[in-house]
Amino acid sequence: MSNGNIILTIARHEYAVNVRRPGFIFFTLLIPALGLIGLVVAGFFSGVAGRFLESQFVPSAPRPTGLIDQSGLFTPLAPEFARAYQVYTDEAAARAALLAGSLDGYVIIPADYLATGDVTAYAVGGLFDAVNIDSDDLQALLVRGLLVGQVDDQTLERVTNPADVNPILLDQQGLPSGGSDIGSVLAGFLIPYALSIFLIIAIFTASSYLLRSVSEEKETRVIEVVLSSVSATQLLTGKVLGLGALGLTQVLVWLASAIAFTGGLGAIVAGLVVTLNPWVFVLSGLYFLLGFLLFGTLMATAGSLGTSQRESQQMAGIFSFGAAVPFMFNSLIFANPNGGLARFLSMFPLTAPTAMMLRLPLTTVSPLDLAISLGGLFITIPLALWGGAKVFRMGLLLYGKRPALKQIWLALRQA
Amino acid sequence: MAEPVIDIVNLRKAYSSVVAVDGLSVRVERGEIFGLLGPNGAGKTTTIRMIMDILKPDSGEVRVLGALPGAARQRVGYLPEERGLYRTLRVGECLTYLGQLKGMARADAQRRSVQLLERVELGGWVKNKVEELSRGMQQKVQLIASIIHDPALVILDEPFQGLDPVNVEMVRGLIRELRDQGKTIVLSAHEMSLVEMLCERIALINHGRVVLYGRLSEIKQQFAPNALEISPPLALEHWPGVRQVSVVGDRQRVTLDAATQPRDLLRQIVERGLPVDRFERATATLDEIFVTVVKGDGAHVER
Repeated sequence: MSNGNIILTIARHEYAVNVRRPGFIFFTLLIPALGLIGLVVAGFFSGVAGRFLESQFVPSAPRPTGLIDQSGLFTPLAPEFARAYQVYTDEAAARAALLAGSLDGYVIIPADYLATGDVTAYAVGGLFDAVNIDSDDLQALLVRGLLVGQVDDQTLERVTNPADVNPILLDQQGLPSGGSDIGSVLAGFLIPYALSIFLIIAIFTASSYLLRSVSEEKETRVIEVVLSSVSATQLLTGKVLGLGALGLTQVLVWLASAIAFTGGLGAIVAGLVVTLNPWVFVLSGLYFLLGFLLFGTLMATAGSLGTSQRESQQMAGIFSFGAAVPFMFNSLIFANPNGGLARFLSMFPLTAPTAMMLRLPLTTVSPLDLAISLGGLFITIPLALWGGAKVFRMGLLLYGKRPALKQIWLALRQA
Repeated sequence: MAEPVIDIVNLRKAYSSVVAVDGLSVRVERGEIFGLLGPNGAGKTTTIRMIMDILKPDSGEVRVLGALPGAARQRVGYLPEERGLYRTLRVGECLTYLGQLKGMARADAQRRSVQLLERVELGGWVKNKVEELSRGMQQKVQLIASIIHDPALVILDEPFQGLDPVNVEMVRGLIRELRDQGKTIVLSAHEMSLVEMLCERIALINHGRVVLYGRLSEIKQQFAPNALEISPPLALEHWPGVRQVSVVGDRQRVTLDAATQPRDLLRQIVERGLPVDRFERATATLDEIFVTVVKGDGAHVER
């Protein structure tokens, strides 16, 4: 059997065995379950649980808003408002339509509107609901009604939509670093932070299973049979791949449930994919993969040196700390993503994956930085695998003993 | 002459200041059952691990089935002294995975694991978890794991450890079957009586070096004491030329002094008209040879 097939066999086995562990299933489903419980409780409290779930999961046609124009200034409706509004001559009919579910709400413009500016909006709901009337749309209808025939069409359009502001922020070097509108804030903060959080979660999840797998094979002594069949490098690589896929599975389940439960997040993410450079996502995915390969290897190696699962976890924590270091400096990175600290952290192999994923959506990373960063990882990962396999093999056969640093050095020096 | 299945030349391995294997040279020929013997800490397990490419030697050469140990791995079966299986997996699942690691296709490994479990009378335990089996049953499962991929060479380190007499007999039969199929077996065990029954050639290791090596029959002849086994027992304690008399079962062992020949004693017995049903030269048991050599009273035999 080829080297690749052996590694895939090990990876498939590790994935299949751990994905059905009750602990994994419980923890993976726990977060979505908590989210669902939260939604149900909130809906139950307000007395509209059914309508809420229905509105989240059952697509429905948009309903118009009723309009009772007692001032006479805004009817007949302009064609552009014909779909969004339904004119009623009396409130009773509008209220009946609202209660029957034909309207989202209705608005009464009183006879003295021009003097007072008072408008009353009605909708169905309880203590925790809001009157869900599109105020921008209503404003446009009112402005148009007040100015039509008084000013030319262009001025009318400008009064209705005075400005389409395009914000641009500059960094310390005078280069554009992103905007200040809500979309840019989400792109500049939410995506890198969320992706990096997912990276850390995936690393911690997968590495805990990696440690357990290595420790169990050592404690049960089955490792000797396994090492008589496959090389330490094949074993380590297979475990990292298989349990990496396990961590990704967990993260994808959480991501999918987050999108489903928030409903609108899916639209936001889709919009942001369009506004952001797609290379950001490609490179983020690449750093995600390289980061896991590096940390998974280092932690499995450290884990093989422990005399017990607990000791292994303590040893492996040294490397997982490296993944978390950029978060300690995240405010500095966000403030100056092309500054010296951000650049150093994104080139040093242990901190590069997380740091670069924080930088990529915030700024245009220079090709030189990318080359050094990726080059460092492409050199470090095979070295970690090579050295890790040697130490891995030595550590796994030392039952009940922790190897001294000298022994580790000797293992690395052996051909 | 056919290429040896295992050819070890001047092998050396040290852990810090402790030399575990010190210039060891041994050959294992095709189709034989070879005994690798030695006291605890002699270097047997370290040697076996170097044959299996689990450890790398500091110096010397190992060739297995004509190739480097790493390249031959999938044609060698190994039952380590440190027993271990995946305790939370089902028996069939565990064996299938271990077979796949040896290069078998999944379906073949599944089929063969069921066949072999039937052979060792564990056919009804395929779907049980390994941890539900008794220790002896787990040992049989581990033995299956070492042969599931139909290897050309099988290395068994303490295969009889912890087995009851019935299972010892079954394992002994299995080893003979493997030899009859043309496989080569390396057996490391402390049950000398079983080693005597099964092995054709042996190497006795002590302090990382070979101290005894060759055909078992020749070694036993070399270590044959100047002694006789006689039945029925006679009162020979004070006879001239008799150094020691002891009873072994229903036989009497009479050790003669160096100057006395067996025929001299036989003449005396016949002259006195004493009854004798059995009168034969005693051979040293492998147990006795082992103790003698390890304690330093034996001779070093060259290849």
